[in-house]
Amino acid sequence: MSIYRRLLRIAAPALAREYGPAMEETLATRWREARGVSPRTRIVMRELLMLIALAWSERFGSRVRAQRRQQRLVEHSKAGAMDTLGQELRQAARRLLRAPAFTVASVLTLGLAIGANTAIFALVQRVVVNPLPYPESDRLIELDHGSVTMKVASGMSTTPGIYFIYRDRARSIESAAVYSVGARTLIERGEPERLRAAFATPSLGAVLRVPPALGRWFTEEEGTPGGPLAAVLSHSLWTWRFNGDRSIIGRGIVLDGVSIDVIGVMPAGFAFPDPRIDVWLPTQISRAQGFGFFGPQGVARLRDGVSLDTARAEFQGLLAGIADAYPDDPKATANVRTKLTFVGRTLKDATLGNVTRGLWLILAAVGVVLFVACANVANLFLVRTELRQREVAIRRALGAARLGLGRYFFTESFLLAGAGGAIGLSIAWAALRVLVQAGPTNLPRLHEVRLDAISVAYVAAVSIVAALVFGSIPLWRGTAAGALHDSGRGNTTSRQRHYVRHLLLGAQVAMALVLLVASALMVRSFQNLHAIDPGFNPDSTLSFNIGLPRTKYITIDQMATVHNGIVDRLAALPGVESASATTCLPLSMGCNANSMRVEGEEYPHGTLPPLSLMRAVGGGYFETMGMRIVRGRAITRADVDRKEPVVVISQKFANIAFKDVDPIGRRIASNQPPKPDGSVTFEWWTIVGVVVDTPMRALNEPDPMPMTFMPLSLANGVDLTRIAPTALQMNFVVRTSTPPLSIGPLAREAVRAIDADLAIAQFTTLQALVDRASAQMTFTMVLLAAAASISLVLGMIGIYGVTSYIVSQRTSEIGVRLALGAEPAGITSQIVKQGGKVTLAGIAVGLLAASAGSRLIASVLYGVSPRDPAIFAAMATLLMLVALVACWIPARRAARLSPTIALRAD
Amino acid sequence: MTSSKPAMLSDLAFHMLLALGDGPSHGYAIGKAVEEQSGGRLDPTTGALYQALRRLTEDGLIAEVDGPKDADSRRRYFTLTASGRKAAATEAGRLDALVRTARKRRLFPQRA
Repeated sequence: MSIYRRLLRIAAPALAREYGPAMEETLATRWREARGVSPRTRIVMRELLMLIALAWSERFGSRVRAQRRQQRLVEHSKAGAMDTLGQELRQAARRLLRAPAFTVASVLTLGLAIGANTAIFALVQRVVVNPLPYPESDRLIELDHGSVTMKVASGMSTTPGIYFIYRDRARSIESAAVYSVGARTLIERGEPERLRAAFATPSLGAVLRVPPALGRWFTEEEGTPGGPLAAVLSHSLWTWRFNGDRSIIGRGIVLDGVSIDVIGVMPAGFAFPDPRIDVWLPTQISRAQGFGFFGPQGVARLRDGVSLDTARAEFQGLLAGIADAYPDDPKATANVRTKLTFVGRTLKDATLGNVTRGLWLILAAVGVVLFVACANVANLFLVRTELRQREVAIRRALGAARLGLGRYFFTESFLLAGAGGAIGLSIAWAALRVLVQAGPTNLPRLHEVRLDAISVAYVAAVSIVAALVFGSIPLWRGTAAGALHDSGRGNTTSRQRHYVRHLLLGAQVAMALVLLVASALMVRSFQNLHAIDPGFNPDSTLSFNIGLPRTKYITIDQMATVHNGIVDRLAALPGVESASATTCLPLSMGCNANSMRVEGEEYPHGTLPPLSLMRAVGGGYFETMGMRIVRGRAITRADVDRKEPVVVISQKFANIAFKDVDPIGRRIASNQPPKPDGSVTFEWWTIVGVVVDTPMRALNEPDPMPMTFMPLSLANGVDLTRIAPTALQMNFVVRTSTPPLSIGPLAREAVRAIDADLAIAQFTTLQALVDRASAQMTFTMVLLAAAASISLVLGMIGIYGVTSYIVSQRTSEIGVRLALGAEPAGITSQIVKQGGKVTLAGIAVGLLAASAGSRLIASVLYGVSPRDPAIFAAMATLLMLVALVACWIPARRAARLSPTIALRAD
Repeated sequence: MTSSKPAMLSDLAFHMLLALGDGPSHGYAIGKAVEEQSGGRLDPTTGALYQALRRLTEDGLIAEVDGPKDADSRRRYFTLTASGRKAAATEAGRLDALVRTARKRRLFPQRA
């Protein structure tokens, strides 16, 4: 009843104000009295339609009433135009109520299709069309690099040295900034919490042009080495952790044990580089520090009117001169020799990646669903029109203008489309809530997606178009004489009528097949993706991250002690099989990498040894992760405790650096920059084992990155004395025999027992990590599958409905034939054949369309050809079978008729 | 308001006025009476019923009155006004005239 109250308030606010409670009471009494499903369904339907009529008359009806009062003064009450329209609407509503099956079927079909379209439209509108909430965001570009000789096309990011050259010399940009993402532990009122932090040059403010909601952004001074530290909070951190207290500005907060002044709060929508950032801190770099290392991401704003190509050409030229710009830094020379390339991408493309393709695909799919739904309703409308041939023919013969007749049908179609739109709106609302919850996290601005004015306007537009289409269908047909003629008591129906119906039916079949093929291709890709061996066993493993306060833990020995302590406590928990730790999990970005020297190899000046990712791990890491040792042995706790200079390398590394030679026993070292006096010292590690490859970015990584694993006691402490991972933050991995997340509270206790100031973050399972890596594909697949199923069901209903209708039209003919001794089986097969022909034609067109559209879907597939013949054949067969069943049911019913009944039917 | 010449009553409005002929009544009961009087031909939805009640009130044909003390407080009671009685009578007269014409033309059985 509260639903009724709410709907009434929307539909007819004035009436609700006056009689709301009384109406509710009346309806409640009626509801109690109407026992059973069907009377109650009737009440719901009638009241809903009345609400729509009320909504109309409340808004436009006052004029009608005023007119009516005037008319009382006139002798002949002549209905005004508006009044007639009101009457037409009321009559149309009554007509629809008299055909509840038709009305419900049409409204639900339309509602479903409009709802799906609106939800996806809202999503695409926000995510694809306008993903970056910054002024003139089309001028923002990403500063990314690749290398020709290292065979890296893109993704190397940038170095501070390159950034300074671009910022100071490039004329095609007006500003540039570099940033990186990390983590810090906030201790507030004794409660530690792990925050996601972005470190950015102060110039980021000028590049993005988003001012803080409160306070200020960083000054240049805060971005230079030795300058004061300052923090800008995200809106959500400020709201949740500091209760939106405006006096936070100027106060100090404790991050990793260091007190830093809060200088600003960003507005709520600000999410650079991603929505999970809690705090922004200044990157303190200067040009005097030289070329630097790859790692930070870069972003720049083009000058007005400058094209991306112009900028790319200019940057490429600047890169060539970079060795001269840093004459004292041999890294600059070495890197230039690797033939650095500037990868010019707009920030929009960089942010969206291949997300766009998938979303457009889904939008196209729901568009097709809408088409199938429209074809279905159009067919229902045709059937209904024919049942009323006489009514229309007489109206027309009596001289009703086409306009008048049009209004007769349009009032119905508008009511239907209006109701469908209303239902569609609620479906879209519900669907969006699910999508926003379940959508992949790499969809930008996903959390901002909601039903806004544009989406509602879209619903209105789609509904109106749909209404115009259905309303005009009955008018397509010939002249008044023709209509009268057709409506005579013929035993067969006209060819023309069947032609339109079959066309609609064939189109439905074709569209449904396209969607079926697309979704089957996605399902196969998904299966292929999941069949990939990630190199580790993600079952029953819990993982979480801990960051150490840098004031309390300084040396690597202190850090190793606390990490080992946590691992020991975790391993002792009930239900835990083993536990270990790593500086970087598989499928995570932003971990250390460096070129690795192999002992005995010569590297001429200016060339770089092979690149490898570096991970410092605890004892038993490979066993806990389920990573297979291919040769040699794993890293043990004894290696960690004794600081043994040993490493395990990945298969890829072994293949690149040692080819056919056995790497066990050879020594490698992380390449180090020369000291100020020009000397270089390397720390040599002995290779004791080779382990399987694990992916870094994605499950379907074509080329896994080489990896080097070392005991965690060999990592860096707070001071970065050499290029190696730091143990400041560590990911713990726990393999359990019970459901992994149930260990959570115990794990928290274990950590607190070691140090109460440590904050746990990113509680997750390795399975969740793997799922996230395929989230994009899962999302596309689920939505496409939903679209395909809807269109299959609608197509089936369409075929069934039309066949039933044709059968009912031919009942007397069938009766005659049965009476004359025709075999029932022959009649069934004849009807099925007829439907089968239309379906076959539809399937042929559908196969052509699916094959023509294969290029559109190819980029989101994995391991399957977009024209996979098996899938095409399977889906065509499936559709054919479903269509034949849908024909066969009414056909069999017809053939089973007793001839006497069949003859009496007309 | 409706001083000069009462408008032709709609079918539903006439039935509602008839339903109030026995004295004040509330929405649900009026709806039920309309359904019974019309032999099920008219069965206004809640929305239609109250829209008509509002219109009749605006036109001064019915007026709201207090209900019995023990009634559901949400219920609203309506009664016929003088002009409502007159409108109902006029409509009944019109129908009566029609029926007489029908009899004269032998389209309707004579009184027993």
